[in-house]
Amino acid sequence: MSDRTVGTDVPGVAAPESNGTAPTEERGDFIGIVPEPVLGPFRRSWAWFDDRTGISGLLYKGLYEAVPKQGGWAYTLGSATLVVIIVQFFTGIFLLLAYVPSVTQAYSSLLYLRTNDLFGDWMRGIHLWGAYILMLLIGAHALRTFISASYKKPRELNWISGVMLFFLVLAMAITGAMLPWDQASYWTAVVVTNIPHYLPVIGNGVRTLWRGGDFVGPVTLTRTFALHIWVLPALLLGLIGGHLYLLRRHGEFGSWVNYRTTTGDPEREVAERVRHAEPPYPTRGAEPQFSVPSETVDFFPDQLFKDTLVSLVLVVFIFVMGLISGAPLDGPANAATLTYVPTPEWFYLPLDQLLVFFPTALVGFGVFVVVGIAATLMLALPFIDRNPERHPIRRPDVLIPAFFLIGTVIYLAMLGVNRLYNL
Amino acid sequence: MSSRISRRQFMVRGTGAMAGLITAMLSVPAVGFLLSPLWAATKEIWVDVQGGPIDDVPEGLPTARIAAVPLGSGPPAPPVNRIVYVTKYQGKLYAFSNICTHMQCDVHWEPSLDLFECPCHGGLYAITGRNVGGPPPQPLPQWVHRVYTGADGKQYLQIANRLEEQI
Repeated sequence: MSDRTVGTDVPGVAAPESNGTAPTEERGDFIGIVPEPVLGPFRRSWAWFDDRTGISGLLYKGLYEAVPKQGGWAYTLGSATLVVIIVQFFTGIFLLLAYVPSVTQAYSSLLYLRTNDLFGDWMRGIHLWGAYILMLLIGAHALRTFISASYKKPRELNWISGVMLFFLVLAMAITGAMLPWDQASYWTAVVVTNIPHYLPVIGNGVRTLWRGGDFVGPVTLTRTFALHIWVLPALLLGLIGGHLYLLRRHGEFGSWVNYRTTTGDPEREVAERVRHAEPPYPTRGAEPQFSVPSETVDFFPDQLFKDTLVSLVLVVFIFVMGLISGAPLDGPANAATLTYVPTPEWFYLPLDQLLVFFPTALVGFGVFVVVGIAATLMLALPFIDRNPERHPIRRPDVLIPAFFLIGTVIYLAMLGVNRLYNL
Repeated sequence: MSSRISRRQFMVRGTGAMAGLITAMLSVPAVGFLLSPLWAATKEIWVDVQGGPIDDVPEGLPTARIAAVPLGSGPPAPPVNRIVYVTKYQGKLYAFSNICTHMQCDVHWEPSLDLFECPCHGGLYAITGRNVGGPPPQPLPQWVHRVYTGADGKQYLQIANRLEEQI
């Protein structure tokens, strides 16, 4: 259905069936011997590399895959999330060039970076604003996926891996906030490492393991550093790989606008679509009506252009905010303060506000049962919502409770702002 | 013995057993290393509460003093300055920490309320340390402490590097 022109959009990327460039000169008259094409040195190297790796086939498959045509701007959020995660890896590695994970040196290493390293503070600013934008992007991406019901059969694991990626990014944010060892960071470390001790039975042990003792100290910093630099990023990369693999396996769903029928005989129209579907469609396991979008385009360049433009705008915003607003650095960590007011980052305000509501014996309940139920509901959404409808108007049974929950989360954040900043 | 296993079964089971052994070998030091803080002993270390003798601490007004408290475990690190709220009330001496029992934020004495107040989630404690408002589940903890009389005949306070109660 798409107007694909084989092998001409990307230089050097040939369609697999055309087998490289056509020979420029006929050689040899022996019957049955296929003449070797005469290639320039670059083409010859490429042909050698392609033969050994099969990369042009992979590129071809990756770039010319069919994606739904309508609504392409809404489907840019996932790739923008990936781009910002790459920005986080990139800036994070640079910050490692200066940062020292030690209670006596972490703060001073960042102070040095601020005052002595060219663009050092900009790098920190980009890393912080990248994290902020990442939170908003993942939220928007999840909301888009939710409203368009893209999590339904057979894409349940796309959704679940996405939710797990969201949790991992939250964990990255909280462990990252603990590393500078300024006042904000130290008190974040105290409060965050204290939360696990409300778990029944194992709680105190978990807190001791994370802190390396009863109190926050040097082991707290090295263990949190290890989590932020290796453990969580490794999980993140693995899950991103899985998430993208699943996306390609089932094809991009898009949304209800891609599955409308226009003729008086929808069954015939759907059957026609299935017959003419381009890979990866028809989606295996999906209802026939939702297995092939009505119109598709090639991922490259139609969708990739939109993806790249959205990513560019966001990256520019992150770079500008990183430069003009930057990342704050409080005074050095000081446990003997009577005036410091620990405040969470804005994306943790709803959880922080929940803590106010659960007094005394209910603290553990509030922290783990309520948050645990919310997390389980998010993870289990594809199994809770088995309604085959995709249009949001016909799914009030999940959309109304979900928007009520989202509204509650925003309201909690507003209460938190009001409480902490006396607005 | 009639229970012979085929060459194929031998290799399938052998591969599983060897892979299991590799995993087990990696797990033993890894788990032990990870869990070691659980059984690492904390050395009890006593330090002086700074700011001189405590004779002049007024009755009924918690007074913040500082003590440089070593962790007593883990790799070498400088001692951490901690708040000790020296409190005299109805003939008793308290050596409160300023660690909230809710989320361990930095509690301070609020004279306008006559209570200890936590800035994070509004926890409140009476002058005796009793938790009287907000979410804190336990009373304000005291440092393990002792009073001794100095050569000048005045009273001095020492604390250990642990709290009287686990919070």
